[in-house]
Amino acid sequence: MRYLALPLLSQNLTESTARAQTLSLYLQLSLQVSLSQRNESTMSSSSSSLPSCPKKVVTLKSSEGETFEIEEIAALQSKTLENMIDENCADTPIPLPNIKGKILAKVVEYCNKHAEVGVDAESLRAWDAEFVNVENTTVFDYILAANFLEIPTLLDLTCQSVADMIKGKTPAEIEKTFNIKSAFTPEEEEQVRRENQWAFE
Amino acid sequence: MSFKSIVRELKEMKDGIGNVSRRGSEGRRWRSRTRSHIAPDHAAPPSTSVEQGRWANLPPELLLDIIQRVEESETSWPSRAVVVSCASVCKSWREITKEIVKTPEQCGKLTFPISLKQPGPRESPIQCFIKRDRATCTYLLYFGLVPSEDERDKMLLAARKIRRATCTDFVVSLVADDFSRASSTYVGKLRSNFLGTKFTIYDSQPPCEAAIQSKSRLNKRFNSKQVSPRVSACNYSVGTISYELNVLRTRGPRRMHCVMDSIPISCLQEGGSVPTPSLFTHSLDEPTSPSPASKGKDKVTEFSSTSLVDIPVPVPGPCEPLVLKNKAPRWHEQLQCWCLNFRGRVTVASVKNFQLVAAVDPTHKISSAEQEKVILQFGKIGKDIFTMDYRYPLSALQAFAICLSSFDTKPACE
Repeated sequence: MRYLALPLLSQNLTESTARAQTLSLYLQLSLQVSLSQRNESTMSSSSSSLPSCPKKVVTLKSSEGETFEIEEIAALQSKTLENMIDENCADTPIPLPNIKGKILAKVVEYCNKHAEVGVDAESLRAWDAEFVNVENTTVFDYILAANFLEIPTLLDLTCQSVADMIKGKTPAEIEKTFNIKSAFTPEEEEQVRRENQWAFE
Repeated sequence: MSFKSIVRELKEMKDGIGNVSRRGSEGRRWRSRTRSHIAPDHAAPPSTSVEQGRWANLPPELLLDIIQRVEESETSWPSRAVVVSCASVCKSWREITKEIVKTPEQCGKLTFPISLKQPGPRESPIQCFIKRDRATCTYLLYFGLVPSEDERDKMLLAARKIRRATCTDFVVSLVADDFSRASSTYVGKLRSNFLGTKFTIYDSQPPCEAAIQSKSRLNKRFNSKQVSPRVSACNYSVGTISYELNVLRTRGPRRMHCVMDSIPISCLQEGGSVPTPSLFTHSLDEPTSPSPASKGKDKVTEFSSTSLVDIPVPVPGPCEPLVLKNKAPRWHEQLQCWCLNFRGRVTVASVKNFQLVAAVDPTHKISSAEQEKVILQFGKIGKDIFTMDYRYPLSALQAFAICLSSFDTKPACE
């Protein structure tokens, strides 16, 4: 409580002035008390509110209409969802017609895992490695989903896994792995042939 | 799920998240592609052709991200070949890869064959070595400091010496088993005179400016159905090397004088640059009459079924060409020999060893730091093994050709 500057009571004070001063002093005191009480109550309420307040959940809807719930704190890993939460658009189910249910479920799993506390880096890395240890077509879907939802960690993980798949491969091997058909003009074909002849001799 | 409810939801989505930013234009591409997923039940299961298109049609910024990771991690040969693989997969991958890969001048790395015709880095040289095979008269240029233990070095260029009646040719190719001038792996050649005192460097394609004109001629060639049996190949003279005859001095160093016609002296000035080719072309073309500005070097020589036209390339505009001269060695009184500081890259004394610097005078306005730089260094480190370090403004091909001339000089110069 602040030290109140008390008005000097002169000897020649009239009774009414003294009464007024006393009243003013009383009011100041009571104001101080109520302020400190409120502070205390605020502090106590914040510490006690955590367990009792329900966690906010965001609902996502896949292209097939299936819904998935994700805790807000996990959803914040997606910049897209974070923006929507900030703009208060996340109270109704968010439709994601370009992400299939199968993929969305896995993306939610990823976000949940990465929002967990107390997971050591080593085991998280191992978990991540297992996460992308799937067929190329699935990784492809993960990349597009991570790109759309703007989840930097997932995008980083999936793009790196594709880069690792490419390393050490010849053009024919890359085409086979990713099911790509090359179609070059005769001019380009000659360039490609010459480059490969030189690079792989 | 009914189609109407899907459309309604799409509308809701548009209204609700209209202010959410999306990366690039892939949002639009998203929506157009997903129509096939939202189609009612009679949508066919993903056919193989749809699957095939997926990776080739990955949004460009994502493809860029992936290929960039590959390029940045595989910086040395032989693993760098994967970058060439990425450029060979399909059109979209090729475009992105070519966008990512920088020239040797910018990044100090060699990636595609065209890197051999582009100037080296400005600061630290690219270090290579040359292996000589006396039996087959072949010289192989490898990337690397010295030959590695497991012999997995990247071969950059190969040259074969062909002696003729009045001259000698060193034919340069991308591969060691094909030195035919009609082959797509033919890169250029070095021709010497009878005495081995004067050499001319030829490139199979003209430097940048002229390349634009030759490209249009090249397109015409591909439109014709049949290539005539007598294929003509053009060679463009890009430099000359002369060795001074040392009649009086018997054991002194040889004096070299290299005029690089395709490199202007201005490239060493502040903000200067060299025309850098970006496309490896093989100018198989109709023989054109040499330009009136030719310096009289045009020769037509027969080589099996191909006829060669040697066209001298004048330096574009009124530019003076870069001249290289060898750094004068110092006489070491105690060791009683001529010495040059090769910084450990040359360990065996040989008359072939040299360092080339730019020959400048005050009118050229070139900083002393630039003047001091050793642009090309060549020297022996073992039996039939030589190191070659080159930097801007020379390209690997020009550097290799200059070094080859050192192998051919006759005793008249020594």
